[in-house]
Amino acid sequence: MRTLLVLLAGGGLLAGSLQTALANGWNMPVGVTELSGEIYSLHMIIFWICVAIGVVVFGVMFYSLFRFRRSKGAKAANFHENTLVEVIWTAIPLLILVGMAVPATATLKKMYDASDADLDVMIIGQQWRWRYDYLGEGVAMTSNLATPRTQIRGDEPIDASANYLLEVDEPLVLPVGQKVRFLFTSDDVIHSWWVPELAIKQDTVPGFINENWVRIDEPGIYRGQCAELCGVDHAFMPIVVRAVEEEEFEAWLASRREAAEEEAMGIDREWQMSELMERGEQVYGSVCVSCHQQEGTGNPPAFPALAGNEQLLSDADWHTSTVINGVSGAAMPAFRNTLNPVEIAAVVTYTRNAWGNDTGDSVQPSEVAERLSD
Amino acid sequence: MWGVIKSVLAAFFGVQKEGQRRQDFEQGRPVPFLVAGVLMALVLVGLVALVAVLASR
Ligand code: HEC
Ligand SMILES: [Cu+2]
Repeated sequence: MRTLLVLLAGGGLLAGSLQTALANGWNMPVGVTELSGEIYSLHMIIFWICVAIGVVVFGVMFYSLFRFRRSKGAKAANFHENTLVEVIWTAIPLLILVGMAVPATATLKKMYDASDADLDVMIIGQQWRWRYDYLGEGVAMTSNLATPRTQIRGDEPIDASANYLLEVDEPLVLPVGQKVRFLFTSDDVIHSWWVPELAIKQDTVPGFINENWVRIDEPGIYRGQCAELCGVDHAFMPIVVRAVEEEEFEAWLASRREAAEEEAMGIDREWQMSELMERGEQVYGSVCVSCHQQEGTGNPPAFPALAGNEQLLSDADWHTSTVINGVSGAAMPAFRNTLNPVEIAAVVTYTRNAWGNDTGDSVQPSEVAERLSD
Repeated sequence: MWGVIKSVLAAFFGVQKEGQRRQDFEQGRPVPFLVAGVLMALVLVGLVALVAVLASR
């Protein structure tokens, strides 16, 4: 009897310390959607069922080991079967499993029901950034890591105030209270879009479209990571979701749409060298730098240098088409769908004139647009 | 016939009386058990599918 009490006390202690650990950030988050809360409760129910089973099974086992030890003269019972006991110990786990499966299935059904969404957003994984396309809204964007390469490489001290490796230049902006359907795919390899607070971890697979949805309850910033090893910069494609009130979202969407239209009109005009260089530096810094490096030195032989690159300097045509079409079979991506004509013209102009590449020639957005249309 | 079904059910559940097992092995022929096993596996699949259909309505 005393042993049993000791065991029960031990079990209680274990449960208590687990409770403390869980309350101190070791657990999955409750999240900010109705479904994430439901998934959390499900997880906790099943967790406590497992704890109870563990305490009972190990309690009985250790009690028996101790109480009926040989030094106290215990004799083993040598009976063979007991059908009733066997039926009971088969039926109990069966009932427990069914009892867990019923609520789990109910939640799964809700997770899979992406119908009647108010807004559709396409999420595209790409080495090594995310692209978001608000389908039917005329707004799309690329979300790059905001931490400068110089800080990552240690050439410059880390800015402690700036969420090292967690911040992006363009967060995914979503309205609260609305059902948003996500369509996931990838341009290259498998990535996984994971935001714990939204209870979403969905693979993005090239050639396939996966679905999921959220209805966020609270405005706020929710962070995530790529959760599928996808290449050298896998750790450098964080996710930031900014959930805002509906009116703020509509205003944001409208301003983005306007900016996109303005940019589209800018394609036809003649751009100044200085404008192209300024824009190009921006594009290079967010898109190309991970492979071709800050000073255009690349990382030969895998990633060629652009600074002082003979072929690049002598052939603007080839240079432009390499950026538009990429290099098939190599890691150089095609930028025809990711960058707009202004951005492509700017980055080509920039790479032809930065770091001692003094060709002095520029490529106009209109020329790029023409190439993109054939 | 009923005895065969009962034995196959016991096998599905995973618990069988030793006496019954001995009797099946000494007096039964294998073919009825095989046939009943395959048919009842199909019935089980049908039941699971039915539950899935009902649950997803
Ligand atoms: C994912 C890594 C990656 C990114 C991002 C990337 N490149 Fe490349 N780039 C490469 C690789 C690898 C090659 C070499 C391809 C080959 O084998 O010919 C290359 C080749 C090139 C070349 C041809 C140079 C040569 O000597 O073959 C140019 C020009 C170029 N990239 C420009 C850019 C520009 C401009 C950007 C940004 C808009 C960019 N790249 C982004 C990986 C990348
Ligand atoms: Cu990735």
